[in-house]
Amino acid sequence: MTDRSHHIGGNRSAARRILGKTFQYAFIAIALFWTIAPIYWMLSTSLKTELEATRLDPSLVPENVTLDNYVRLFQGDLPFISFFVNSVITCFLAAIVSVVIAVPAAYALSRRNFRTAEQTGYLVLVVRMFPMIVLLAPLYLVLLNTGLLDTMFGLILGYTTFGLPFAVWMLKGFIDAVPVEIEEAARVDGYRQWEILLKIIVPLIYPGLVTTGIFVLMEAWNNLIYPLTFITSIEKQSLPAALVLTFTGQFKTDWGGMMAASAITTLPLMIAFFAVQRSMVRGLTAGSVTGT
Amino acid sequence: MLSLSKPFLHWMVLPTLLVLLAIIGYPVVSTVYLSFFGYNLLDFTPPEYLGLGNFKDMANDRIFWISLKNTLYYTGGTVLVSMLIGTAVALLLENLKGPVWSCVRAFVVSPWAVPFVVVAFLFRFMYMQNGGIVNDILLDLGVITNPVSWLNRADISLGAIIVANIWATTPFFFLLVSSALSGIPDAVLESARVDRAGLWSTIFHIKLPFLRNPLVVGSLLMVISNFNDFAKVWVMTQGGPGYATTTLVVYVYRMAFERFEIGYASALGLIWLLLLLLVSVFYIRLLWNRQND
Repeated sequence: MTDRSHHIGGNRSAARRILGKTFQYAFIAIALFWTIAPIYWMLSTSLKTELEATRLDPSLVPENVTLDNYVRLFQGDLPFISFFVNSVITCFLAAIVSVVIAVPAAYALSRRNFRTAEQTGYLVLVVRMFPMIVLLAPLYLVLLNTGLLDTMFGLILGYTTFGLPFAVWMLKGFIDAVPVEIEEAARVDGYRQWEILLKIIVPLIYPGLVTTGIFVLMEAWNNLIYPLTFITSIEKQSLPAALVLTFTGQFKTDWGGMMAASAITTLPLMIAFFAVQRSMVRGLTAGSVTGT
Repeated sequence: MLSLSKPFLHWMVLPTLLVLLAIIGYPVVSTVYLSFFGYNLLDFTPPEYLGLGNFKDMANDRIFWISLKNTLYYTGGTVLVSMLIGTAVALLLENLKGPVWSCVRAFVVSPWAVPFVVVAFLFRFMYMQNGGIVNDILLDLGVITNPVSWLNRADISLGAIIVANIWATTPFFFLLVSSALSGIPDAVLESARVDRAGLWSTIFHIKLPFLRNPLVVGSLLMVISNFNDFAKVWVMTQGGPGYATTTLVVYVYRMAFERFEIGYASALGLIWLLLLLLVSVFYIRLLWNRQND
Protein backbone atom coordinates (compact mmCIF):
# COMPACT_ATOMS: atom_id res chain seq x y z
CA MET A 1 0.00 0.00 0.00
CA THR A 2 3.00 2.33 0.45
CA ASP A 3 3.83 2.26 -3.24
CA ARG A 4 1.73 5.01 -4.72
CA SER A 5 4.25 6.25 -7.31
CA HIS A 6 1.98 5.24 -10.20
CA HIS A 7 -0.74 7.58 -8.98
CA ILE A 8 0.94 10.52 -10.66
CA GLY A 9 -2.19 11.96 -12.18
CA GLY A 10 -4.22 11.35 -9.05
CA ASN A 11 -3.05 14.23 -6.88
CA ARG A 12 -6.53 15.02 -5.75
CA SER A 13 -7.42 11.45 -4.84
CA ALA A 14 -4.09 11.06 -3.04
CA ALA A 15 -4.83 14.19 -1.07
CA ARG A 16 -8.24 12.85 -0.24
CA ARG A 17 -6.77 9.57 0.89
CA ILE A 18 -4.29 11.35 3.17
CA LEU A 19 -7.09 13.47 4.58
CA GLY A 20 -9.13 10.33 5.15
CA LYS A 21 -6.22 8.62 6.93
CA THR A 22 -5.63 11.67 9.08
CA PHE A 23 -9.28 11.76 10.01
CA GLN A 24 -9.22 8.03 10.77
CA TYR A 25 -6.18 8.25 13.05
CA ALA A 26 -7.47 11.37 14.76
CA PHE A 27 -10.75 9.70 15.54
CA ILE A 28 -9.00 6.60 16.85
CA ALA A 29 -6.74 8.78 19.00
CA ILE A 30 -9.78 10.48 20.53
CA ALA A 31 -11.46 7.15 21.17
CA LEU A 32 -8.30 5.83 22.76
CA PHE A 33 -7.98 8.86 25.02
CA TRP A 34 -11.62 8.56 25.99
CA THR A 35 -11.26 4.94 27.08
CA ILE A 36 -7.85 5.12 28.71
CA ALA A 37 -8.01 8.47 30.51
CA PRO A 38 -10.41 7.39 33.29
CA ILE A 39 -8.48 4.16 33.92
CA TYR A 40 -5.23 6.07 33.96
CA TRP A 41 -6.76 8.51 36.42
CA MET A 42 -7.82 5.70 38.73
CA LEU A 43 -4.35 4.14 38.74
CA SER A 44 -2.43 7.38 39.04
CA THR A 45 -4.64 8.64 41.86
CA SER A 46 -4.20 5.36 43.70
CA LEU A 47 -0.44 5.93 43.64
CA LYS A 48 -0.62 9.44 45.08
CA THR A 49 -0.29 10.45 48.69
CA GLU A 50 -3.52 11.18 50.50
CA LEU A 51 -2.84 14.89 50.34
CA GLU A 52 -1.94 14.96 46.66
CA ALA A 53 -4.96 12.85 45.66
CA THR A 54 -7.45 15.43 46.87
CA ARG A 55 -5.56 18.55 45.89
CA LEU A 56 -7.66 21.33 44.37
CA ASP A 57 -5.33 21.58 41.41
CA PRO A 58 -4.81 17.90 40.55
CA SER A 59 -1.42 16.74 39.29
CA LEU A 60 -1.59 14.76 36.06
CA VAL A 61 1.34 12.57 37.05
CA PRO A 62 1.84 11.53 40.69
CA GLU A 63 4.61 13.64 42.17
CA ASN A 64 5.50 11.20 44.91
CA VAL A 65 4.64 7.69 43.79
CA THR A 66 3.66 5.61 46.79
CA LEU A 67 1.99 2.26 47.42
CA ASP A 68 0.73 3.59 50.72
CA ASN A 69 -2.93 3.48 49.65
CA TYR A 70 -2.70 -0.22 48.83
CA VAL A 71 -0.85 -1.03 52.04
CA ARG A 72 -3.44 0.83 54.09
CA LEU A 73 -6.25 -1.18 52.48
CA PHE A 74 -4.89 -4.38 53.89
CA GLN A 75 -3.79 -2.98 57.22
CA GLY A 76 -6.72 -0.68 57.96
CA ASP A 77 -9.67 -1.35 60.28
CA LEU A 78 -11.81 -2.66 57.47
CA PRO A 79 -11.70 -6.39 56.68
CA PHE A 80 -10.87 -5.58 53.06
CA ILE A 81 -9.38 -9.02 52.47
CA SER A 82 -12.54 -10.75 53.64
CA PHE A 83 -14.67 -8.55 51.34
CA PHE A 84 -12.46 -9.70 48.52
CA VAL A 85 -12.65 -13.35 49.56
CA ASN A 86 -16.43 -13.13 50.03
CA SER A 87 -16.84 -11.82 46.50
CA VAL A 88 -14.51 -14.40 45.00
CA ILE A 89 -16.24 -17.31 46.77
CA THR A 90 -19.83 -16.29 46.06
CA CYS A 91 -19.19 -15.31 42.45
CA PHE A 92 -17.18 -18.45 41.70
CA LEU A 93 -19.76 -20.73 43.25
CA ALA A 94 -22.57 -18.92 41.45
CA ALA A 95 -20.72 -19.41 38.16
CA ILE A 96 -20.02 -23.09 38.79
CA VAL A 97 -23.54 -23.86 40.00
CA SER A 98 -25.08 -22.04 37.03
CA VAL A 99 -22.91 -23.79 34.48
CA VAL A 100 -23.30 -27.26 35.97
CA ILE A 101 -27.09 -27.01 36.09
CA ALA A 102 -27.20 -25.40 32.66
CA VAL A 103 -25.14 -27.93 30.69
CA PRO A 104 -27.75 -30.71 30.40
CA ALA A 105 -30.53 -28.23 29.71
CA ALA A 106 -28.49 -26.45 27.06
CA TYR A 107 -27.72 -29.81 25.46
CA ALA A 108 -31.35 -30.82 25.37
CA LEU A 109 -32.37 -27.43 23.98
CA SER A 110 -29.69 -27.57 21.34
CA ARG A 111 -30.70 -31.03 20.11
CA ARG A 112 -34.36 -30.36 20.58
CA ASN A 113 -37.15 -31.74 18.60
CA PHE A 114 -39.79 -32.11 21.19
CA ARG A 115 -42.22 -29.67 22.71
CA THR A 116 -41.02 -29.41 26.30
CA ALA A 117 -37.61 -28.37 25.07
CA GLU A 118 -39.06 -25.74 22.81
CA GLN A 119 -41.19 -24.31 25.61
CA THR A 120 -38.28 -24.40 28.01
CA GLY A 121 -36.27 -22.55 25.41
CA TYR A 122 -38.79 -19.73 25.26
CA LEU A 123 -39.06 -19.72 29.03
CA VAL A 124 -35.31 -19.34 29.41
CA LEU A 125 -35.30 -16.57 26.83
CA VAL A 126 -38.06 -14.69 28.61
CA VAL A 127 -36.39 -15.19 31.98
CA ARG A 128 -33.16 -13.86 30.56
CA MET A 129 -34.97 -10.61 29.88
CA PHE A 130 -36.25 -10.37 33.39
CA PRO A 131 -35.74 -7.22 35.37
CA MET A 132 -33.85 -8.36 38.43
CA ILE A 133 -35.60 -5.83 40.58
CA VAL A 134 -38.91 -7.62 40.10
CA LEU A 135 -37.47 -10.58 41.94
CA LEU A 136 -35.84 -8.50 44.62
CA ALA A 137 -38.65 -8.06 47.13
CA PRO A 138 -40.14 -11.58 46.89
CA LEU A 139 -36.69 -13.17 46.93
CA TYR A 140 -35.90 -11.12 50.01
CA LEU A 141 -39.04 -12.43 51.69
CA VAL A 142 -38.16 -16.02 50.74
CA LEU A 143 -34.68 -15.68 52.19
CA LEU A 144 -36.08 -13.98 55.27
CA ASN A 145 -38.58 -16.78 55.89
CA THR A 146 -36.10 -19.57 55.28
CA GLY A 147 -33.39 -18.07 57.44
CA LEU A 148 -31.10 -17.65 54.44
CA LEU A 149 -30.92 -13.89 54.70
CA ASP A 150 -27.39 -12.73 55.42
CA THR A 151 -25.84 -16.01 54.28
CA MET A 152 -23.53 -16.66 51.36
CA PHE A 153 -25.88 -19.39 50.18
CA GLY A 154 -28.71 -16.88 49.89
CA LEU A 155 -26.51 -14.53 47.90
CA ILE A 156 -25.42 -17.33 45.56
CA LEU A 157 -29.06 -18.19 45.05
CA GLY A 158 -29.65 -14.57 44.10
CA TYR A 159 -26.80 -14.57 41.59
CA THR A 160 -28.14 -17.80 40.10
CA THR A 161 -31.39 -16.06 39.12
CA PHE A 162 -29.55 -14.28 36.33
CA GLY A 163 -26.60 -16.68 36.03
CA LEU A 164 -28.58 -19.77 35.12
CA PRO A 165 -30.68 -18.38 32.24
CA PHE A 166 -27.60 -16.69 30.82
CA ALA A 167 -25.61 -19.91 31.10
CA VAL A 168 -28.29 -22.02 29.40
CA TRP A 169 -28.53 -19.60 26.50
CA MET A 170 -24.80 -19.16 26.02
CA LEU A 171 -24.03 -22.87 26.30
CA LYS A 172 -26.77 -23.72 23.84
CA GLY A 173 -24.95 -21.53 21.33
CA PHE A 174 -21.69 -23.37 21.92
CA ILE A 175 -23.31 -26.82 21.71
CA ASP A 176 -25.12 -25.83 18.49
CA ALA A 177 -21.69 -25.51 16.91
CA VAL A 178 -20.83 -29.16 17.64
CA PRO A 179 -21.75 -31.30 14.60
CA VAL A 180 -24.33 -33.97 15.32
CA GLU A 181 -22.27 -36.47 13.29
CA ILE A 182 -19.72 -36.67 16.09
CA GLU A 183 -22.43 -37.87 18.43
CA GLU A 184 -23.71 -40.37 15.92
CA ALA A 185 -20.22 -41.81 15.55
CA ALA A 186 -19.95 -42.09 19.32
CA ARG A 187 -23.28 -43.86 19.42
CA VAL A 188 -22.09 -46.40 16.86
CA ASP A 189 -19.08 -46.94 19.10
CA GLY A 190 -21.46 -47.93 21.87
CA TYR A 191 -21.47 -44.82 24.02
CA ARG A 192 -24.57 -44.33 26.07
CA GLN A 193 -26.49 -41.04 26.06
CA TRP A 194 -25.07 -39.62 29.26
CA GLU A 195 -21.61 -40.73 28.19
CA ILE A 196 -21.96 -38.82 24.95
CA LEU A 197 -22.76 -35.68 26.89
CA LEU A 198 -20.05 -36.07 29.51
CA LYS A 199 -17.25 -37.62 27.47
CA ILE A 200 -17.83 -36.12 24.01
CA ILE A 201 -19.76 -32.86 24.26
CA VAL A 202 -18.37 -31.44 27.48
CA PRO A 203 -14.70 -31.77 26.48
CA LEU A 204 -15.51 -30.30 23.06
CA ILE A 205 -17.20 -27.22 24.44
CA TYR A 206 -14.72 -26.77 27.28
CA PRO A 207 -13.72 -23.24 26.15
CA GLY A 208 -17.42 -22.40 25.99
CA LEU A 209 -17.88 -23.64 29.55
CA VAL A 210 -15.08 -21.40 30.76
CA THR A 211 -16.39 -18.42 28.81
CA THR A 212 -19.89 -18.93 30.15
CA GLY A 213 -18.62 -19.37 33.69
CA ILE A 214 -16.55 -16.22 33.50
CA PHE A 215 -19.47 -14.31 32.09
CA VAL A 216 -21.68 -15.32 35.01
CA LEU A 217 -18.83 -14.51 37.35
CA MET A 218 -18.47 -11.03 35.87
CA GLU A 219 -22.18 -10.35 36.13
CA ALA A 220 -22.17 -11.49 39.74
CA TRP A 221 -19.07 -9.46 40.54
CA ASN A 222 -20.78 -6.43 39.04
CA ASN A 223 -23.99 -6.93 40.94
CA LEU A 224 -24.61 -4.47 43.71
CA ILE A 225 -28.27 -4.67 44.55
CA TYR A 226 -28.40 -8.30 45.71
CA PRO A 227 -25.53 -8.16 48.21
CA LEU A 228 -26.80 -4.79 49.40
CA THR A 229 -30.20 -6.24 50.24
CA PHE A 230 -29.48 -9.90 51.04
CA ILE A 231 -26.41 -9.41 53.23
CA THR A 232 -26.93 -7.45 56.40
CA SER A 233 -23.72 -7.87 58.37
CA ILE A 234 -20.73 -5.99 57.08
CA GLU A 235 -18.16 -8.77 57.50
CA LYS A 236 -20.08 -10.99 55.07
CA GLN A 237 -20.44 -8.23 52.50
CA SER A 238 -19.28 -8.45 48.88
CA LEU A 239 -16.52 -6.18 47.65
CA PRO A 240 -18.61 -3.73 45.56
CA ALA A 241 -21.29 -3.44 48.23
CA ALA A 242 -18.65 -2.96 50.91
CA LEU A 243 -17.11 -0.13 48.89
CA VAL A 244 -20.47 1.58 48.73
CA LEU A 245 -21.26 1.04 52.41
CA THR A 246 -17.88 2.11 53.73
CA PHE A 247 -17.42 5.11 51.52
CA THR A 248 -19.68 7.09 53.77
CA GLY A 249 -17.32 6.24 56.63
CA GLN A 250 -13.65 5.48 56.22
CA PHE A 251 -13.13 6.56 52.64
CA LYS A 252 -15.25 9.71 52.80
CA THR A 253 -12.60 12.04 51.44
CA ASP A 254 -9.81 9.53 50.99
CA TRP A 255 -9.96 9.32 47.21
CA GLY A 256 -6.48 7.83 47.00
CA GLY A 257 -7.58 4.91 49.15
CA MET A 258 -10.84 4.68 47.26
CA MET A 259 -9.08 4.48 43.92
CA ALA A 260 -6.69 1.83 45.25
CA ALA A 261 -9.69 -0.19 46.41
CA SER A 262 -11.29 0.33 43.00
CA ALA A 263 -8.18 -0.88 41.21
CA ILE A 264 -8.13 -4.04 43.35
CA THR A 265 -11.83 -4.58 42.64
CA THR A 266 -11.20 -4.22 38.91
CA LEU A 267 -8.14 -6.46 38.65
CA PRO A 268 -9.79 -9.91 38.82
CA LEU A 269 -12.43 -8.87 36.32
CA MET A 270 -9.82 -7.46 33.94
CA ILE A 271 -7.86 -10.73 33.99
CA ALA A 272 -10.95 -12.89 33.56
CA PHE A 273 -12.26 -10.67 30.82
CA PHE A 274 -9.18 -10.63 28.66
CA ALA A 275 -8.91 -14.39 28.97
CA VAL A 276 -12.19 -14.90 27.18
CA GLN A 277 -13.22 -11.70 25.42
CA ARG A 278 -13.25 -13.14 21.92
CA SER A 279 -15.58 -16.05 22.48
CA MET A 280 -17.69 -13.98 24.84
CA VAL A 281 -19.36 -11.91 22.18
CA ARG A 282 -20.09 -15.02 20.19
CA GLY A 283 -21.72 -16.63 23.20
CA LEU A 284 -23.68 -13.54 24.14
CA THR A 285 -25.32 -13.06 20.82
CA ALA A 286 -25.53 -16.77 20.09
CA GLY A 287 -26.55 -17.40 16.52
CA SER A 288 -27.24 -13.83 15.54
CA VAL A 289 -23.72 -12.99 14.39
CA THR A 290 -23.09 -14.30 10.93
CA GLY A 291 -20.34 -16.81 10.70
CA THR A 292 -20.88 -18.31 14.12
CA MET B 1 -30.98 -36.77 12.46
CA LEU B 2 -29.64 -38.03 15.71
CA SER B 3 -32.22 -40.00 17.60
CA LEU B 4 -32.02 -39.13 21.24
CA SER B 5 -34.75 -40.63 23.31
CA LYS B 6 -37.28 -38.11 24.53
CA PRO B 7 -37.38 -39.20 28.17
CA PHE B 8 -33.63 -38.69 28.37
CA LEU B 9 -33.86 -35.14 27.07
CA HIS B 10 -36.76 -34.42 29.38
CA TRP B 11 -34.65 -35.40 32.35
CA MET B 12 -31.88 -33.14 31.17
CA VAL B 13 -34.12 -30.09 31.20
CA LEU B 14 -35.50 -30.91 34.60
CA PRO B 15 -32.80 -29.45 36.91
CA THR B 16 -32.89 -26.08 35.14
CA LEU B 17 -36.67 -26.05 35.15
CA LEU B 18 -36.86 -26.83 38.86
CA VAL B 19 -34.31 -24.21 39.83
CA LEU B 20 -35.94 -21.56 37.64
CA LEU B 21 -39.30 -22.43 39.11
CA ALA B 22 -37.98 -21.99 42.64
CA ILE B 23 -35.91 -18.85 42.27
CA ILE B 24 -37.80 -17.07 39.52
CA GLY B 25 -41.22 -18.63 39.09
CA TYR B 26 -42.17 -18.33 42.71
CA PRO B 27 -40.93 -14.74 43.15
CA VAL B 28 -42.75 -13.63 40.00
CA VAL B 29 -46.02 -15.20 41.10
CA SER B 30 -45.66 -13.59 44.49
CA THR B 31 -44.87 -10.23 42.87
CA VAL B 32 -48.09 -10.44 40.91
CA TYR B 33 -49.94 -11.51 44.05
CA LEU B 34 -48.44 -8.84 46.31
CA SER B 35 -49.06 -6.09 43.79
CA PHE B 36 -52.76 -6.25 44.71
CA PHE B 37 -52.00 -5.79 48.40
CA GLY B 38 -50.94 -3.10 50.76
CA TYR B 39 -48.07 -4.68 52.62
CA ASN B 40 -45.55 -2.82 54.72
CA LEU B 41 -42.94 -4.96 56.45
CA LEU B 42 -42.66 -2.45 59.29
CA ASP B 43 -46.37 -2.65 60.16
CA PHE B 44 -46.17 -6.27 61.25
CA THR B 45 -49.70 -6.76 59.99
CA PRO B 46 -50.73 -9.22 57.30
CA PRO B 47 -51.08 -7.92 53.73
CA GLU B 48 -54.29 -5.99 53.13
CA TYR B 49 -56.15 -6.53 49.86
CA LEU B 50 -56.40 -3.32 47.82
CA GLY B 51 -57.57 -4.58 44.45
CA LEU B 52 -56.19 -2.25 41.84
CA GLY B 53 -55.38 0.37 44.48
CA ASN B 54 -51.61 0.23 43.99
CA PHE B 55 -52.00 0.73 40.26
CA LYS B 56 -54.31 3.69 40.74
CA ASP B 57 -51.80 5.23 43.13
CA MET B 58 -49.13 4.67 40.56
CA ALA B 59 -51.06 6.59 37.89
CA ASN B 60 -51.08 9.60 40.21
CA ASP B 61 -47.56 9.07 41.48
CA ARG B 62 -45.50 11.92 40.06
CA ILE B 63 -42.24 10.27 41.05
CA PHE B 64 -43.18 7.09 39.23
CA TRP B 65 -43.62 9.00 35.99
CA ILE B 66 -40.39 10.94 36.54
CA SER B 67 -38.48 7.74 37.16
CA LEU B 68 -40.03 6.12 34.11
CA LYS B 69 -38.95 9.08 31.98
CA ASN B 70 -35.45 9.02 33.51
CA THR B 71 -35.16 5.30 32.82
CA LEU B 72 -36.09 5.81 29.18
CA TYR B 73 -33.56 8.64 28.77
CA TYR B 74 -30.90 6.68 30.60
CA THR B 75 -31.41 3.49 28.61
CA GLY B 76 -32.12 5.09 25.26
CA GLY B 77 -29.33 7.65 25.46
CA THR B 78 -26.76 5.12 26.57
CA VAL B 79 -27.62 2.43 24.05
CA LEU B 80 -27.94 4.76 21.07
CA VAL B 81 -24.75 6.70 21.63
CA SER B 82 -22.65 3.69 22.63
CA MET B 83 -23.89 1.83 19.58
CA LEU B 84 -22.90 4.71 17.29
CA ILE B 85 -19.46 5.21 18.82
CA GLY B 86 -18.79 1.48 19.11
CA THR B 87 -19.75 0.86 15.48
CA ALA B 88 -17.72 3.82 14.24
CA VAL B 89 -14.59 2.80 16.11
CA ALA B 90 -14.96 -0.82 14.98
CA LEU B 91 -15.23 0.30 11.34
CA LEU B 92 -12.22 2.59 11.73
CA LEU B 93 -10.07 -0.13 13.28
CA GLU B 94 -11.32 -2.88 10.98
CA ASN B 95 -8.47 -2.95 8.48
CA LEU B 96 -5.64 -2.01 10.78
CA LYS B 97 -3.59 -5.12 11.50
CA GLY B 98 -0.50 -5.76 13.56
CA PRO B 99 0.55 -5.91 17.21
CA VAL B 100 0.23 -2.16 17.79
CA TRP B 101 -3.37 -2.16 16.64
CA SER B 102 -4.18 -5.28 18.65
CA CYS B 103 -2.94 -3.36 21.63
CA VAL B 104 -5.12 -0.38 20.70
CA ARG B 105 -8.09 -2.74 20.43
CA ALA B 106 -7.39 -4.18 23.88
CA PHE B 107 -7.33 -0.67 25.34
CA VAL B 108 -10.56 0.31 23.61
CA VAL B 109 -12.27 -2.76 25.06
CA SER B 110 -10.90 -2.46 28.58
CA PRO B 111 -13.67 -0.31 30.15
CA TRP B 112 -16.00 -3.27 29.83
CA ALA B 113 -13.97 -5.12 32.45
CA VAL B 114 -14.33 -2.30 34.96
CA PRO B 115 -16.99 -3.20 37.55
CA PHE B 116 -20.03 -0.89 37.56
CA VAL B 117 -19.39 0.23 41.10
CA VAL B 118 -15.86 1.24 40.18
CA VAL B 119 -17.09 3.09 37.08
CA ALA B 120 -19.43 5.00 39.33
CA PHE B 121 -16.85 5.91 41.96
CA LEU B 122 -14.30 6.80 39.33
CA PHE B 123 -16.63 9.21 37.53
CA ARG B 124 -17.90 10.62 40.77
CA PHE B 125 -14.31 11.41 41.62
CA MET B 126 -13.62 12.91 38.21
CA TYR B 127 -16.85 14.95 38.29
CA MET B 128 -16.05 16.56 41.65
CA GLN B 129 -16.69 20.28 41.67
CA ASN B 130 -13.50 21.19 43.45
CA GLY B 131 -10.39 19.32 42.42
CA GLY B 132 -12.19 17.08 39.91
CA ILE B 133 -10.16 16.40 36.79
CA VAL B 134 -13.08 17.06 34.42
CA ASN B 135 -13.53 20.59 35.68
CA ASP B 136 -9.77 21.07 35.81
CA ILE B 137 -9.34 20.18 32.14
CA LEU B 138 -12.40 22.11 30.94
CA LEU B 139 -11.27 25.19 32.88
CA ASP B 140 -7.79 24.94 31.36
CA LEU B 141 -9.29 24.62 27.90
CA GLY B 142 -11.53 27.60 28.57
CA VAL B 143 -14.71 25.63 27.84
CA ILE B 144 -16.16 26.66 31.20
CA THR B 145 -15.29 29.61 33.38
CA ASN B 146 -16.44 28.26 36.74
CA PRO B 147 -16.22 24.73 38.12
CA VAL B 148 -19.46 22.87 37.40
CA SER B 149 -21.09 20.68 40.00
CA TRP B 150 -21.89 17.94 37.51
CA LEU B 151 -23.76 15.56 39.76
CA ASN B 152 -25.57 18.10 41.92
CA ARG B 153 -27.41 20.08 39.27
CA ALA B 154 -30.81 18.71 38.37
CA ASP B 155 -30.48 19.79 34.73
CA ILE B 156 -27.22 17.98 33.96
CA SER B 157 -26.79 15.20 36.51
CA LEU B 158 -28.64 12.57 34.48
CA GLY B 159 -26.58 13.51 31.43
CA ALA B 160 -23.39 13.22 33.45
CA ILE B 161 -24.32 9.71 34.57
CA ILE B 162 -25.24 8.74 31.01
CA VAL B 163 -21.80 9.85 29.84
CA ALA B 164 -20.18 7.58 32.44
CA ASN B 165 -22.48 4.78 31.35
CA ILE B 166 -21.62 5.29 27.69
CA TRP B 167 -17.97 4.96 28.63
CA ALA B 168 -18.74 1.58 30.18
CA THR B 169 -21.09 0.32 27.44
CA THR B 170 -19.32 1.32 24.21
CA PRO B 171 -16.77 -1.55 24.35
CA PHE B 172 -19.58 -4.07 24.15
CA PHE B 173 -20.78 -2.65 20.83
CA PHE B 174 -17.22 -2.29 19.62
CA LEU B 175 -16.54 -5.99 20.27
CA LEU B 176 -19.87 -7.01 18.81
CA VAL B 177 -19.43 -5.06 15.59
CA SER B 178 -15.79 -6.06 15.24
CA SER B 179 -16.66 -9.73 15.43
CA ALA B 180 -19.59 -9.28 13.04
CA LEU B 181 -17.37 -7.45 10.56
CA SER B 182 -14.83 -10.24 10.58
CA GLY B 183 -17.68 -12.60 9.74
CA ILE B 184 -18.47 -10.89 6.42
CA PRO B 185 -17.38 -13.26 3.66
CA ASP B 186 -14.33 -12.01 1.77
CA ALA B 187 -16.06 -12.68 -1.54
CA VAL B 188 -18.69 -10.07 -0.74
CA LEU B 189 -16.12 -7.40 0.04
CA GLU B 190 -14.07 -8.43 -2.98
CA SER B 191 -17.00 -8.00 -5.34
CA ALA B 192 -17.63 -4.56 -3.85
CA ARG B 193 -14.06 -3.69 -4.61
CA VAL B 194 -14.36 -4.96 -8.19
CA ASP B 195 -17.50 -2.87 -8.60
CA ARG B 196 -15.47 0.12 -7.39
CA ALA B 197 -18.01 0.79 -4.68
CA GLY B 198 -17.02 3.87 -2.67
CA LEU B 199 -16.16 3.83 1.01
CA TRP B 200 -19.58 5.00 2.16
CA SER B 201 -21.60 2.83 -0.13
CA THR B 202 -19.52 -0.17 0.97
CA ILE B 203 -20.30 0.63 4.57
CA PHE B 204 -23.99 1.33 4.06
CA HIS B 205 -24.90 -1.24 1.45
CA ILE B 206 -22.51 -4.08 2.17
CA LYS B 207 -21.44 -3.92 5.78
CA LEU B 208 -24.42 -2.52 7.66
CA PRO B 209 -26.82 -5.24 6.47
CA PHE B 210 -24.43 -7.77 7.99
CA LEU B 211 -24.41 -5.82 11.22
CA ARG B 212 -28.16 -5.55 11.52
CA ASN B 213 -28.94 -8.73 13.43
CA PRO B 214 -25.99 -8.55 15.80
CA LEU B 215 -26.89 -4.95 16.58
CA VAL B 216 -30.53 -5.81 17.19
CA VAL B 217 -29.64 -8.59 19.61
CA GLY B 218 -26.82 -6.61 21.19
CA SER B 219 -28.92 -3.53 21.76
CA LEU B 220 -31.70 -5.63 23.26
CA LEU B 221 -29.21 -7.08 25.73
CA MET B 222 -27.98 -3.62 26.59
CA VAL B 223 -31.49 -2.19 26.89
CA ILE B 224 -32.28 -4.89 29.42
CA SER B 225 -29.05 -4.48 31.30
CA ASN B 226 -29.45 -0.70 31.47
CA PHE B 227 -33.05 -0.98 32.56
CA ASN B 228 -31.69 -3.00 35.45
CA ASP B 229 -28.67 -0.87 36.16
CA PHE B 230 -28.62 0.12 39.77
CA ALA B 231 -24.98 0.50 40.76
CA LYS B 232 -24.00 3.52 38.69
CA VAL B 233 -26.93 5.73 39.61
CA TRP B 234 -26.95 4.66 43.21
CA VAL B 235 -23.25 5.30 43.78
CA MET B 236 -23.10 8.58 41.88
CA THR B 237 -26.24 10.36 43.03
CA GLN B 238 -28.54 7.97 44.92
CA GLY B 239 -31.21 9.24 42.53
CA GLY B 240 -30.80 12.91 43.44
CA PRO B 241 -30.70 15.85 43.39
CA GLY B 242 -34.40 15.70 44.16
CA TYR B 243 -35.59 12.99 41.79
CA ALA B 244 -33.55 14.18 38.82
CA THR B 245 -31.69 10.88 38.40
CA THR B 246 -34.14 8.49 40.03
CA THR B 247 -34.61 5.59 37.65
CA LEU B 248 -37.16 2.84 38.15
CA VAL B 249 -34.65 0.52 39.81
CA VAL B 250 -33.68 3.18 42.30
CA TYR B 251 -37.32 4.00 42.97
CA VAL B 252 -38.32 0.38 43.52
CA TYR B 253 -35.29 -0.15 45.73
CA ARG B 254 -36.16 2.85 47.87
CA MET B 255 -39.80 1.81 48.05
CA ALA B 256 -38.97 -1.75 49.07
CA PHE B 257 -35.93 -1.32 51.29
CA GLU B 258 -36.15 2.14 52.75
CA ARG B 259 -39.90 2.42 53.19
CA PHE B 260 -40.56 -1.35 53.16
CA GLU B 261 -43.69 -0.84 51.04
CA ILE B 262 -43.45 -4.31 49.55
CA GLY B 263 -46.93 -4.22 48.01
CA TYR B 264 -46.42 -0.98 46.11
CA ALA B 265 -42.90 -1.98 45.12
CA SER B 266 -44.29 -5.21 43.69
CA ALA B 267 -46.85 -3.29 41.66
CA LEU B 268 -44.05 -1.10 40.27
CA GLY B 269 -42.08 -4.23 39.45
CA LEU B 270 -45.02 -5.79 37.65
CA ILE B 271 -45.56 -2.75 35.42
CA TRP B 272 -41.90 -2.77 34.68
CA LEU B 273 -41.94 -6.43 33.77
CA LEU B 274 -44.75 -5.78 31.29
CA LEU B 275 -42.78 -2.89 29.81
CA LEU B 276 -39.69 -5.00 29.27
CA LEU B 277 -41.74 -7.81 27.78
CA LEU B 278 -43.18 -5.30 25.34
CA VAL B 279 -39.70 -4.17 24.34
CA SER B 280 -38.59 -7.79 23.98
CA VAL B 281 -41.55 -8.69 21.77
CA PHE B 282 -40.77 -5.70 19.58
CA TYR B 283 -37.17 -6.82 19.23
CA ILE B 284 -37.99 -10.46 18.57
CA ARG B 285 -40.37 -9.38 15.82
CA LEU B 286 -37.58 -7.31 14.30
CA LEU B 287 -35.43 -10.41 14.19
CA TRP B 288 -38.15 -12.66 12.84
CA ASN B 289 -39.08 -10.26 10.08
CA ARG B 290 -35.51 -10.38 9.01
CA GLN B 291 -35.38 -14.14 8.99
CA ASN B 292 -38.53 -14.40 6.93
CA ASP B 293 -37.20 -12.09 4.23
